[in-house]
Amino acid sequence: MSTPLWRRYLRFFGPDPAADVDDEFAFHLEMRIDELRAQGLSPREARDEALRGFRDLQHVKKVCRSLAEERESAMRRTQWWSDWRHDLRFAVRQLTVSPILTGVLVLTIALGIGSTVAIFSVLHAVVLRPLPGDESERIVSIYETWRQFRTGSASAGHFHDWTEHNTVFEHTAATARGTYNLSDGEPERVAGMRATPGYFRVMHITPALGRYFTDADTAGGARVVVLSHGLWQRRFGADPSIVGRSIRLNGEAHTVVGVASPDYAMTRFTPQLWTPIVFAPKLRENYGSHSLGVIGKLKAGVTRDAAQADMERVTRGIAQRQPREMEGRSVNVVPFSDVILGNIRARLYVMLASVTFVLLIGCVNVANLLLARAATRRREIAIRAAIGGGRWRIVRQLLTESVVLAVIGGTAGVAVAYLGIRLFVAFGPPNTPRLQDAGLQTEVLLFAVGITLLTGLVFGMAPALRAARENLLTPLREGGKTSLPPARDRLRGVLVVGEIAVAVVLLVGAGLFLRSAWRLQQVPLGVDTSRVLTARVALSPERYSGDEAVADAFRRMIEEARAMPGLQRVGAATNIPLLGAGPDSGTQIEGKPFTPGQALSPLVRLVTDGYVEAIGMPLARGRTFQASDMAPGASKVVMINEQMARLAWPGEDPIGKRLSAWTGDTAEWREVVGIVGDVRSLGADTPPQPELFMSYTQPPPQAWPFFQRSMALVARTADEPTPHASTLRRVVRSVDASLPVYDVMTMDEALGDDGAGPRFNTWLLSLLALAGLLLAAIGIYGVITYFVTQRIPEIGLRLALGATPRSVLLMVIRHGAVLAIVGIGIGLAGALATTRTLTTMLFEVTATDAPSYAAGAAALFTTALLACAVPAIRAVRVNPMRSLTES
Amino acid sequence: MKTELLHGTLDVLILKTLSWGPMHGFGVGKWIGQLSGDELRIEEGSLYPALYRLEKKGWIDASWGLSDNQRRAKFYRLTAEGRRQLLKNSDIWSTFAQAVARVLTAKQQPVS
Repeated sequence: MSTPLWRRYLRFFGPDPAADVDDEFAFHLEMRIDELRAQGLSPREARDEALRGFRDLQHVKKVCRSLAEERESAMRRTQWWSDWRHDLRFAVRQLTVSPILTGVLVLTIALGIGSTVAIFSVLHAVVLRPLPGDESERIVSIYETWRQFRTGSASAGHFHDWTEHNTVFEHTAATARGTYNLSDGEPERVAGMRATPGYFRVMHITPALGRYFTDADTAGGARVVVLSHGLWQRRFGADPSIVGRSIRLNGEAHTVVGVASPDYAMTRFTPQLWTPIVFAPKLRENYGSHSLGVIGKLKAGVTRDAAQADMERVTRGIAQRQPREMEGRSVNVVPFSDVILGNIRARLYVMLASVTFVLLIGCVNVANLLLARAATRRREIAIRAAIGGGRWRIVRQLLTESVVLAVIGGTAGVAVAYLGIRLFVAFGPPNTPRLQDAGLQTEVLLFAVGITLLTGLVFGMAPALRAARENLLTPLREGGKTSLPPARDRLRGVLVVGEIAVAVVLLVGAGLFLRSAWRLQQVPLGVDTSRVLTARVALSPERYSGDEAVADAFRRMIEEARAMPGLQRVGAATNIPLLGAGPDSGTQIEGKPFTPGQALSPLVRLVTDGYVEAIGMPLARGRTFQASDMAPGASKVVMINEQMARLAWPGEDPIGKRLSAWTGDTAEWREVVGIVGDVRSLGADTPPQPELFMSYTQPPPQAWPFFQRSMALVARTADEPTPHASTLRRVVRSVDASLPVYDVMTMDEALGDDGAGPRFNTWLLSLLALAGLLLAAIGIYGVITYFVTQRIPEIGLRLALGATPRSVLLMVIRHGAVLAIVGIGIGLAGALATTRTLTTMLFEVTATDAPSYAAGAAALFTTALLACAVPAIRAVRVNPMRSLTES
Repeated sequence: MKTELLHGTLDVLILKTLSWGPMHGFGVGKWIGQLSGDELRIEEGSLYPALYRLEKKGWIDASWGLSDNQRRAKFYRLTAEGRRQLLKNSDIWSTFAQAVARVLTAKQQPVS
């Protein structure tokens, strides 16, 4: 009945109730058998008798064993809680001992955690939350591509073929921007959307009121409208009986069938209302005018790639029937979330990564400060170890202190995050979808809790590991000295090198974005944006139905405006740079039969005379439009930009040559009279597109309805443009008091909005890199100061033995410089490995841009030397006599 | 003669036995037998679960030591809590026992 030997060894790893029960019962049986044998029983009888007392030995054992186990685990629980309470009390006491140090630590952690949580909150609101609507992850946008342009609008013909022949979509819809004059009450211009009824099936979000329009509405040609939630609240006072009412849009009565869900409002440019698009039968066969946005909802289980392949198949079918219109064209299927978010998603991830880097550097600083304090506590820890605090207990105690610190910092961090979110929402790039929803939701708070605990573990790890590894008794053997840890502290050196490396990655990243922003600034937009005011006017179809009526109204506005003092040059165009691309159209060149690879789709604008001068486009050759070109019966003229000239007449002079656009196969020739300079119409970061300009008095058929009878007035002013907005309003009112004026802004403002996203990104990343640099400098300063403090006796001795102050200075600086150089080396390698992910966000700067790397390294090295300077000077001032006598 | 014990009696007996000092399970069983004048024979099948239960309650605790004949044995000892419980329960038991004895030794029929 003796216990197997291995069973006994098990007790090394803690109590073993099963073995205990076995041993105890074995002992009992031995004693009982001895007793019975003494009474004269045979060994066998004794044994049977002894066992009889237990009746069922195994059962009794089982009962005892489970009782023992229950007792064991209850004890462990009690022990754990009491240890924990003790650790907690002790941790709090430790923190109150040095309030200044604690304050610095808490502030570092709070700022680090706060800014990380703030960025995460924005990322969560903008990117991580699914888009509103049912199965919104299945929504895609479908673009016609033309050569390198991947996101072109589609023609009506394409939309119908795509819809009818695809096998991958549940629903598809075509959309177009629309603007509407609301005339019940104060006239107002609102931006809306024209859409096929499929729109509301693709992007289904339950309506707030009534219903969305359906195929039945469009088939019957009903004039119906769905109001956005915002417009319904603002203009109609959230009237619950709005459904069924008639409102006037562009002078025509429309019946309100429903109010859309507020969830449709994601960006500043959310449509205010929706009306149906009805395609004229003729348009069904139009593959040449590209103006529609097409969206689709994939069938369940269909991937984007499968949809892309299927749509390419359908598009090839179109190309076989329409080889000419389809030259260079194909199709591109893009997840809708990518369309909505664009570069924003990548930018936010870069911001989160950067802010996490800063948090990491902050953690290293905290760890360094804790290590410095641990050095002064070595005796205390050694004594605790000596009186029986196990190594693990001490590690746990130190970790508890760190986590308590992190929790205090994290709690303060949530307050910092609240402010940070408010700042981000206020100053962040406009048009970031759903940015205003950023806040401290449950998910964000959970993230805050997680990152807080992680932070505590990260910066608590170093002191705890040191305590775990160190020979705990050394400090006691060293005798009376309270603390004399080794002067060269390898662990702290490693930490500082690490934080320098991370700071270098941040600096290089910020450098790349700064260089990119600078490059973008250098790019000539092609127009002179200073002192230019623009405002948009749209005429209502009921009062201005024919082309002549439209042209006449705009002519009168231009003439009125030219008579106003302060407006030096006035013109108008259907689309102006930076404010919407406008349509492009297939174009024929006279005398050049269609040849594969030569198809042209320039952007088409209708402009007035004086527009080129007002917007400030340079004239390259020929002449601009004159008043005589606008006169009735004048011969048809066109201006093109240099890009178009190069594409249409390579190596030739286009002046006097003729082209035809917009009219498909029936040519309507227009003579090229002038060539203007290229303009980056789609924004500074997009290369100029081919463009052509027609006279607004010579519109192609159906052009005015297509442009919604709308033009942007452009006025170059003698002085500050903004105050002249009222002048432009007055001019429009003098022609027709019922016409609202909208989108009033200066071109400088338009340019500002254009670059707002990248600019904010660059600004924030630079700020984070600066924070990283400062934190790294503090880290170096701390370590070098410690180095000097520990070496004061040695330095004193050196000075006493005749070392020059210069050599002492060099010794200290060298120590710092070595740390900095190693850190910079690792950081540059890290930057090379990581900045490649930034490529798509950079403008004309490669991710291996040498100046950015050099600048990052130089900035850090200089800062590191400055941080070493203070302790180095203190080292030189060491008084040899005093330092020697003190030691 | 072996007497079935009333529920809870065994606990008090164990606590009482241990109040004289630490003892292993075998010794506890033996002592109870001797002190009761061999009237009570505690079965091991009841004794050990009772010991473990008391240990779990924290009224007694245990440690390994050497018995008189130099063998490894688990010794039980009364805790402060166990001593308090013993005082409380032995009062109850003696009151109870006296009451039972008074009934059983009554010479007169009670007046109704």
